[in-house]
Amino acid sequence: MTISKAIYKRGKTAGVFPSLSSRRDEAYMSFIEDARNLLLHAQQKPIGAYSRLLLQNAGKSMESDPRSTTEAKELLMKDNVLKTYYRVKRSLQESFWECTLNSLNMRKNDLLRALDDAEKIGPGSVTYDPDFSIPEYATAEIHIQPGGNANEPLSGLLYDYGSKVFMGGAADNDMFANMQANTVSAPKNGKVDRILDLGCSAGATTTALKRIYPDAEIWGIDVSSHMVRYAHLRALEQNLDINFKQMLAEELEFDDNCFDIVVANLLFHEVPVSISKKIIKETLRVLRPGGSFTLFDFPGDKKGDVYAMFFGEMDAIDNGEPFIPGFVRSNVEELMEEGGFKMDKYDPDKFILAERVGFKPIN
Amino acid sequence: MTDKKPNDLENLKDLPGFKRSNPIYFESEVVDHLISIVLDLGAELWVVKDRLAHFEEVLSENNKFSLTDLQVGKPSELLQEKLDEERKQMIKRIYGRLYSKYGGELAEEKGAI
Repeated sequence: MTISKAIYKRGKTAGVFPSLSSRRDEAYMSFIEDARNLLLHAQQKPIGAYSRLLLQNAGKSMESDPRSTTEAKELLMKDNVLKTYYRVKRSLQESFWECTLNSLNMRKNDLLRALDDAEKIGPGSVTYDPDFSIPEYATAEIHIQPGGNANEPLSGLLYDYGSKVFMGGAADNDMFANMQANTVSAPKNGKVDRILDLGCSAGATTTALKRIYPDAEIWGIDVSSHMVRYAHLRALEQNLDINFKQMLAEELEFDDNCFDIVVANLLFHEVPVSISKKIIKETLRVLRPGGSFTLFDFPGDKKGDVYAMFFGEMDAIDNGEPFIPGFVRSNVEELMEEGGFKMDKYDPDKFILAERVGFKPIN
Repeated sequence: MTDKKPNDLENLKDLPGFKRSNPIYFESEVVDHLISIVLDLGAELWVVKDRLAHFEEVLSENNKFSLTDLQVGKPSELLQEKLDEERKQMIKRIYGRLYSKYGGELAEEKGAI
């Protein structure tokens, strides 16, 4: 049994992603990726400075509360420069999903057959339940990705290529995931036999962890069967022995004290805060005493900065991030401590994200 | 007795961004559509320029035309590098003025990190 190679008839892009269906689609998406880099990423700082100046000139408070954020939004979105910036952001986002989905759909059968083939072979495994009950919060169309993560059979591929474009090339060859995985804290006694990646999506962090800990048993779990199916195919292409399973991070199907390291990369801002609390509780349960929990996600709004909150609220709409405002206002470090973790590290600026590390107390 | 559902799990569909919407940023949605159209035209123009350059390369190398070569083949690394640079310059030239004084020469290439 081998995987149908029809999906790689045009080779691979940015690592293990099967190249888009035609040169036309690649050219179109290269334009979108460069336009995002040049017109959005490169403009983020000057646009931020310009926005703050507008707020300052209008005598608006820079301290954040829901009322001041609403006022800031009303003021800033009257400005034509800012309207254009956010319109461009949204239009490019819509274009890249449309092109990627159309391109993948041109050979949907080949792609689905490859995913079917992959689940029958190892190394590693993938387990999912066609009758799995997806919680309502996980049906959100995150990043305005068509169908969201849970409802589109090609969502793993869509997400993987979307990350490439969204990250402006920083996700190519899993560069970003490798950088993050290299900073994951090990337990103080150095024993690492089992690792769990929560909300693993396409499995980039999971495979990066396997390369760092080749002898450890690695698990990647995600609410979406389509994600774990693609993550398994992706790991197979790299000949990595990893177990992927469809599972809720807030209802882990693992024994107590059975993992040495748990990682959550960009998961917490995609769930409501009440779910985050449950995930923290479950993580503490499955970690062995002395085990580490590394959480990569956006920094919180500790300064109460009104522009940062405005930017987050715009992102909620433009980028389909309904839970970001709640996440940013919550204090995840505090939630981890309240959940029983001994906090070891909070770095608010680790590769554009914040890194939070806590250990399960030994006594 | 049943567990009370946390407040943040109520009315999820009403949260901004939960379901894909069609946000409008300008007073007239025509302006929003025009910006989308202009960006898309740029992408389509780039597709044509890319294809033409590839076409010329295929013709000169093979001394014959093959539709399959153009559709599923990839340009040489040298041409790809040239195209990558040309595309960036095209975006800067056409769209750099979008944000008025914040565009143009300030639109330097910069990735997410």
